[in-house]
Amino acid sequence: MFSWSYFLQQTMNGVILGCIYALLALGMTVVYGILRLINFAHGALITVGAFFVYFIFFRAGINLAASLLLVLGFGGLMGLLLDVIAYRKLRGGPEVALLITSLGFYTFVENFMKMVVSPQPYSFKTPAYLAVMYKTSLLTFRSIDVFIIVSSLLIMFIFNLFVKKTRMGIAMRATAENLEVAHLMGIEVNRVIALAFALGSAIAAFTGFLWGAKYGQIAYDMGFLTGVKAFVAVVVGGVGSIPGAMVGGFVLGLAEILSIAFLPTRFAEYRDGIVFGILILVLLLRPSGLMGVKEEVRV
Amino acid sequence: MLKVENLTVKYGVIPAVMNVSLTVGRGQIVAILGANGAGKTTTLKAIMGVLRPASGQISYQGEDITHMSPSNRVRKGIALVPEGRGIFNRLTVEENLLLGAYSRSGNDVIMKDLKEVYALFPRLEERKKQIAGTLSGGEQQMLALGRGLMSKPQLLLLDEPSLGLAPLVVRELYATISRIREQGVTILLVEQSAAVALGASDYAYVLESGSLKLSGKPEELKSLEDVKRVYLGG
Repeated sequence: MFSWSYFLQQTMNGVILGCIYALLALGMTVVYGILRLINFAHGALITVGAFFVYFIFFRAGINLAASLLLVLGFGGLMGLLLDVIAYRKLRGGPEVALLITSLGFYTFVENFMKMVVSPQPYSFKTPAYLAVMYKTSLLTFRSIDVFIIVSSLLIMFIFNLFVKKTRMGIAMRATAENLEVAHLMGIEVNRVIALAFALGSAIAAFTGFLWGAKYGQIAYDMGFLTGVKAFVAVVVGGVGSIPGAMVGGFVLGLAEILSIAFLPTRFAEYRDGIVFGILILVLLLRPSGLMGVKEEVRV
Repeated sequence: MLKVENLTVKYGVIPAVMNVSLTVGRGQIVAILGANGAGKTTTLKAIMGVLRPASGQISYQGEDITHMSPSNRVRKGIALVPEGRGIFNRLTVEENLLLGAYSRSGNDVIMKDLKEVYALFPRLEERKKQIAGTLSGGEQQMLALGRGLMSKPQLLLLDEPSLGLAPLVVRELYATISRIREQGVTILLVEQSAAVALGASDYAYVLESGSLKLSGKPEELKSLEDVKRVYLGG
């Protein structure tokens, strides 16, 4: 039996998961655009961000607004350090060196968290004012749902404004398209790359909080699959394209939730398979992604 | 204005340019000629600082710039219009032009220069909101030149500006290059098609397999038999 209320409810859940993927995909697509790097370290930032908020907000009792600003700053700093310490020296070498480094960093963080925090998941208790229930005839939602959608859209809006309108943002798009010519324009490419890492990582760390607050649980390995799926969103939307990353995120979130909502229950455990199935389908039908432009061959 | 002494540039262990020396005087148009793979582009890239020389010295306005970063060279007034134009295809025409002025500050002067570039290339103004990838080859070359000018260069390096353009467009392009020189910009250009470049330049160098083979005024070079045979197709 099809019910509009159920459909709307699940669509909302899909949009929320889509927001999370879209936010993560933003940072990944910019980094991929510039360095051709699938940045697994992005996933580590989700985990680290979630635990950072857990400790400073739930344990140390810093208020939420300050905690969220701090997690953005912390994520940004991590991204910056990662670039300066680990990635910068590898540029100009084979691209695979960057990939291995990012995978290594992810593995390090995952195991570090497992050792220091716990191999068991933590329950992430949403503060009462984010758990207020609202019931309408069609839809039931909590204040955290509104918070996720509004904050995500706001971040996406600001990010877009930044890349479209600011000098640094235009330089970032130019660097993503052609690094060598960007050099010729006098763009300090290293600075642009560091900023791309910092922004993407800040958003990823913030997303860790959103994830915990929405799903109520955080764990040392939460970033891996989420990070990989965010990269799937990047590819589905069209690598290197910022609007594509957002569209890809929403497509993926909706497809994942709606497919488990409407397929018989026994398919529920295939949700990850469905996500990767979509990836394969898109790559077969539109190899450059939904909004991608054909990649020029670099010589 | 520019003095290159005993420049050697290597890709790994393979030398692409060996012991090349050349001078460009203020207000001149100087051409570097040579076949594909002769080391012309490599020389320009080393002058711009995108490639590090293995040895040799590059000085610009009396200052040794051999180890200066490309962005600082842009600030000093050197600009390179790369081979194949290097337009940012996904950006608009105007964004491309503004990136040319990336290293400069002062919004007012930049806007004034933008107007000047539009006066030089009215087509670009008509298409300023258009995505640069949709321009024709000739328009893209205009955009690349205009973008180069937006950095307010004193020395403009042009890599194969006529490549892939129809003869009529090439003539128009070289007319523009002459006008740019009249505005006081010194030009060092690289071309494979020697005839057109010799027609426009005051002095020319001929590279062969990474080494300097000949140099001279265009009329001297034109009369040399082997230049005719090898580079002028005659």
